Amino acid sequence: MKGKLEPSERQKLIEEGKNLKEGLLALEEDLLKLTDDLQQEAQCIPNMTHPDVPIGGEDCSTIRKTYGSPREFIFPVKDHLQLGKQLDLFDLDAASEVSGSKFYYLKNEAVMLEMGLINWTLSEVMRRGFIPLTTPEIVRSSVVEKCGFQPRGTNTQVYSIEGTDQCLIGTAEIPVGGIHMDSILSESLLPLKYVAFSHCFRTEAGAAGTATKGLYRVHQFSKVEMFILCRPDESDSYLEELIRIEEDLFSSLGLHYKTLDMASEDLGAPAYRKYDIEAWMPGLERFGEISSASNCRDYQSRRLGIRYRPSEPSSATPKKGKSSLAPPQFVHTLNATACAIPRMIVCLLENYQQEDGSIIIPEPLRPFVGGLELIAPKSR
Amino acid sequence: MGLQCLCGTTLQTLKLAVIPSSSSSSSSSSRFVFGPLAKVYFPFHRRTASAQRPPFPLLLRAFSAPAVQATPTTTTTKTPDEKVLKPQWKAAIDFKWIRDNKDAVAANIRNRNSNANLELVLELYEKMSNLQKEVERLRGERNLVANKMKGKLEPSERQKLIEEGKNLKEGLLALEEDLLKLTDDLQQEAQCIPNMTHPDVPIGGEDCSTIRKTYGSPREFIFPVKDHLQLGKQLDLFDLDAASEVSGSKFYYLKNEAVMLEMGLINWTLSEVMRRGFIPLTTPEIVRSSVVEKCGFQPRGTNTQVYSIEGTDQCLIGTAEIPVGGIHMDSILSESLLPLKYVAFSHCFRTEAGAAGTATKGLYRVHQFSKVEMFILCRPDESDSYLEELIRIEEDLFSSLGLHYKTLDMASEDLGAPAYRKYDIEAWMPGLERFGEISSASNCRDYQSRRLGIRYRPSEPSSATPKKGKSSLAPPQFVHTLNATACAIPRMIVCLLENYQQEDGSIIIPEPLRPFVGGLELIAPKSR
Repeated sequence: MKGKLEPSERQKLIEEGKNLKEGLLALEEDLLKLTDDLQQEAQCIPNMTHPDVPIGGEDCSTIRKTYGSPREFIFPVKDHLQLGKQLDLFDLDAASEVSGSKFYYLKNEAVMLEMGLINWTLSEVMRRGFIPLTTPEIVRSSVVEKCGFQPRGTNTQVYSIEGTDQCLIGTAEIPVGGIHMDSILSESLLPLKYVAFSHCFRTEAGAAGTATKGLYRVHQFSKVEMFILCRPDESDSYLEELIRIEEDLFSSLGLHYKTLDMASEDLGAPAYRKYDIEAWMPGLERFGEISSASNCRDYQSRRLGIRYRPSEPSSATPKKGKSSLAPPQFVHTLNATACAIPRMIVCLLENYQQEDGSIIIPEPLRPFVGGLELIAPKSR
Repeated sequence: MGLQCLCGTTLQTLKLAVIPSSSSSSSSSSRFVFGPLAKVYFPFHRRTASAQRPPFPLLLRAFSAPAVQATPTTTTTKTPDEKVLKPQWKAAIDFKWIRDNKDAVAANIRNRNSNANLELVLELYEKMSNLQKEVERLRGERNLVANKMKGKLEPSERQKLIEEGKNLKEGLLALEEDLLKLTDDLQQEAQCIPNMTHPDVPIGGEDCSTIRKTYGSPREFIFPVKDHLQLGKQLDLFDLDAASEVSGSKFYYLKNEAVMLEMGLINWTLSEVMRRGFIPLTTPEIVRSSVVEKCGFQPRGTNTQVYSIEGTDQCLIGTAEIPVGGIHMDSILSESLLPLKYVAFSHCFRTEAGAAGTATKGLYRVHQFSKVEMFILCRPDESDSYLEELIRIEEDLFSSLGLHYKTLDMASEDLGAPAYRKYDIEAWMPGLERFGEISSASNCRDYQSRRLGIRYRPSEPSSATPKKGKSSLAPPQFVHTLNATACAIPRMIVCLLENYQQEDGSIIIPEPLRPFVGGLELIAPKSR
């Protein structure tokens, strides 16, 4: 229509243009809706699975490693609730009045244990080259979704803040995953290894009937979390590194545990492979999960928009003109629990109890609790 | 007793064993001591040893000995500026006392610039009292009728009584409904009445607050001063931009040495306050909104500082004062337990609604922060002196960190409804070129305890010749409560960074903190 035209030709073109425009508008609307529908459905597709992962339900998970053995007690074993009561270490009743069930106050030496565990764990993981972080505990719900969680599903684990699009985090994995959202990292930065301390909040909706005793399942807890962003070819080996760090930590605390290679039905959508560690809790007379390590490969990074630019291939004779930059690739992300404090406290109290009700503090922790070696009953 | 024993024995060890021994060594000796031994135990803390990442391989030992400070400096939204929902709980307000002292109460309301409606309260109280008498009278009559009906009666008499009884019952029902409503209305109005005020408190607005104490003086810089944001950026200590994307404005990540500073400050503060006989606590950070109200805050007012959880009656705490205040809710404590002194570490969450325009730069005003809070429950005759003790502890803490600060005796309009007296400490922040509030200490007397229902039973008076028969137990009294910030971490980080900056952009770490950050003495720029 830019050229010189006869009026009748121009009129025909105008008509044609108008029809095309309307048709286009309608199709573009359809396209938008289709894209949304596609996204909604496609986001439900879980990550692929490592070929070595056992197929099936939780009874199919295999034991990758066992460490230690259950301590043999020569006196009746108490659970952490009884021990805590006798030693005035926590108050669940007052918390129930103030906040509701599954909340708690820690008191006296339990506070020192919490701080000591956090400090020791941070220290140990930093020693291995991880960058320490503390994170926001309120995040936009979109970030929660991008990490592969469902903030507003039924039985959601996620607390929402009234009147906002914000939620409370259930794990530092979320805000740490979000740090490099929508970014292209230089390859030289990888691997990026973070160790983050945060409080975590979980509704535990739908957890009725499962183990909920005392500190085992609570709405709020402190946790030290490891998070790695790396090149795709490295994620398998970093999962191994993460699980080894966890195993080292728990071994040095003298816990008896088993590392499970989780079966396909128990992975959770983001995980390509997942190792859970369950520690022996003599007072509860069962193994309880104390950590989880996942390789999410590019599941989260595709949602969070985290990519890296591979370095130029080094060459003796650099090309002239425009450098041949490789296109950005999605990083792989991994996360692993270094220490979930309440369950660790359960483990320590129950495993290290003495006949007189006192608790021995494992050696590695002592420098971090002011040298305290024993939690002893208090004279009244 | 048990609590004191804990403090006695454990704190003894704590005092000695503040510094974690090197984790790689056999840590044979368990005698950890402050000061000189720090160098012996951590010979590797010289930054020169390692110039590349990770920057602080051996600085990790510092995380021992929990030291936590508490007490938020925020002002509680004491004075409700609007009517809120019907109260779901009753405060044990002393209406008779208000009525008998109404001039003093009225003057106090004026001095505090409060919206409380004293006239309405007195009117409602009068009505309620009269109505109560009427209800009791009617009940008496109904009982009389009921008794009469027990005897032998003529049918016509019985019929009359039945009629009378029925009328009385209906009348009573109506009056009892009215009484309930009146009681609710009275509660709602009366809860707005702020606490009385200590006679020494200056009357007026914030410019009337007086300086109780000044410590130190502003450091003289021979180079251009940077603020904490610039320092943090250069030293890679925080990330506010990423936090803004992930969470929104006024959020932040701490990184590297700033994490160690946070942990070190918490641990050191906890340690210092425990040493002074306080019982350490960690608390829930989600609480029922009624508990928030009982502490004197307004979870659902406009410009509320309080985040609410969707679909529940729960909120996030803005200070550990709230869950600690709630621990002994609806209880009668034995006098021998008092004073109960707690030091609590928690994260705190504040909407900071209505804070636009006020100082909001960087870490100065944030939605989430760590805080160590002190809380005391005591006998009424002791609260004045415990406020002095709390402020002295705060001053000791900040002095030992080498801060320049002033302690303010807050004027009546700045007290907030629960506080009888309030001291705020403002520290000099050279990068922001102003004093900034880093702590607040309040004596709430029985304001909170009347709402939380915390009482104590005075011990029996000791007598040489015990009375025979029923022992004369004194009736329970309301305790007095006090709260004070031991350490609000972000503002403390602002202070430390800005005050201890060096010309090359590095930051000196004050001596008392070094054992708690693995012996780290300096935050130095990192080579890249």
